[in-house]
Amino acid sequence: MRPKLGVPIVLATVVGLALLVPRFGGDYYVHVFALVFTNVILAASLRPSLTCGQLNIGHSAFMSIGAYTSALLAKNLAVPFEISLVCGALLAAAVGLAIGYPSLRLRGVYFAMVTVAFVEVIRLIAQLWVSLTRGMSGLSGIPKPSILGMTLTTRASQYYLVLGLTLVILLVLWKLEHSRLGLIWKSIGLGDNLAQSLGVDIARHKLLAFMLGCFFAGTAGAFYAHFIRFLFPPEFGFLMATNILVYNYVGGRGHFVGPVVGATFLSLLSEPFRGSPYETIFFSIAMLLTILFLPGGLITLPRKLAELRWWRTASSPTPSPAA
Amino acid sequence: MPLLETRDLTRLFGGLAAVNGVDLTVDKGEIVGLIGPNGAGKTTCFNLLSGFLRPTRGSIVFDGEDITGLRPHQIAARGLVRTFQLTTLFQEMTALENVLLGLHLHSGKGPRQVLFSRRDFPADEIARGRDVLDFTGLAAHAHQLSRNLPHGHQRVLGIAMALAAEPRLLLLDEPVTGMNLDESGRVMDLVKTIRSRGTTILLVEHNMKAVMGTCERIVVLNFGRKLAEGTPSHVSTSPEVIQAYLGTGVAHA
Repeated sequence: MRPKLGVPIVLATVVGLALLVPRFGGDYYVHVFALVFTNVILAASLRPSLTCGQLNIGHSAFMSIGAYTSALLAKNLAVPFEISLVCGALLAAAVGLAIGYPSLRLRGVYFAMVTVAFVEVIRLIAQLWVSLTRGMSGLSGIPKPSILGMTLTTRASQYYLVLGLTLVILLVLWKLEHSRLGLIWKSIGLGDNLAQSLGVDIARHKLLAFMLGCFFAGTAGAFYAHFIRFLFPPEFGFLMATNILVYNYVGGRGHFVGPVVGATFLSLLSEPFRGSPYETIFFSIAMLLTILFLPGGLITLPRKLAELRWWRTASSPTPSPAA
Repeated sequence: MPLLETRDLTRLFGGLAAVNGVDLTVDKGEIVGLIGPNGAGKTTCFNLLSGFLRPTRGSIVFDGEDITGLRPHQIAARGLVRTFQLTTLFQEMTALENVLLGLHLHSGKGPRQVLFSRRDFPADEIARGRDVLDFTGLAAHAHQLSRNLPHGHQRVLGIAMALAAEPRLLLLDEPVTGMNLDESGRVMDLVKTIRSRGTTILLVEHNMKAVMGTCERIVVLNFGRKLAEGTPSHVSTSPEVIQAYLGTGVAHA
């Protein structure tokens, strides 16, 4: 059991620092951190599905659905931001239901292949349906986000919006993971036969976890659309989908904060390479290093270091008696 | 009316009949043993009863309801719960979490309470989980990761999880395999206590001492067919059974 007081202190510090970013950083940092939080939502929302043992490499498709839905509603029909955001998230969840229902019976790599194919399908639809999405010219002129009719014109206000969204979504996911639902997800990932024998409807719970992830990915996408105000189909391709997965593995799969740490760390570190070919190389190397040296992810780093120190202090002063 | 009744239960794998026309009945309050040489079809039988396999032919009636072809979780929800030979528990969870998962069938907590309550699990559910651990003698290990428990405790925890699901019929797949005399004796005592609290038991086991000492009725399978049925003393002296276990040479001797 870890100390009860440590968690709130760390949490308050992190949130406090996040609140101070617009005050001390320029617009550049505000922009970077807003994208970091978008990635945190994406990574954390993939976790329920991964916990159920579903290797989902298609999360960016649902972000894309949320982004395009919200952008088109706001741009063409002047729908207020709050409503277009929810519509984007709901459509992403509905498409998740349509894709998940027939394919969640597949396991491991077969399910992963369906999700990979789906990313490409969504990308091609966005690319080829020119009359709606403007295809490869990109969708521009998306209105800025607004709340209750007030447009958030400054970068800082948009930053606070995504910070709020992230905190709410993380809180919801946290509560779910620590309830019986989270226990059920974990049980399905650890042994689906045993879970079934205890009366767990694994098909329903896998679908629920998957749709939940799609809903929040759609939310992140909708924010992204109104924040960047330009959508380009290849952005939501295979690369982004694998990145979301890599956030989870590099951060660590063993704890809720894993994807949060992974997404923050990798997004910040890869910032200099964003959009260049080096980005792929960077993510590949990060993944390789993690698998080789920290199979439990970054969240196990403190424990690993403590073990190393223990080894050193334990082995140096006492010469081996066996010698 | 029997609690469980199968008629002509048959499962073919290709041309091989793993279970072939088995009529099996279990009455309320019994402890019934299902035995037979390796490959006799005992585990297939369990998989059919618990819904992990669909029968090729035949029917399964549980407490007056035809459950043939239902999915495993639906069968568990009706009160027919099984344990497994190998994956008996969730290694990466604590003992208490394992049991709490078993309780989930009988908890009426909705999604609103999940999001807005301060506790992760309601106190009464934790208390019920602890009761089950108490009953099975694992209370001291509630917060230990189950993979760190000794083998004997792990097997008992597997039974505790199934008990948490409040079965009316409990199927135990080799509950004392790999245990020493002392441990297996304690598990068999536990099985008797479970029965005395109103749960009917059907168990598969290779440990003959345990089976003979615990079960009131024994069903012997061989090559997928029912070979014999009766009290332990009847079955252990039946020439067909001895022949099936030891081969013809010994039967003549």
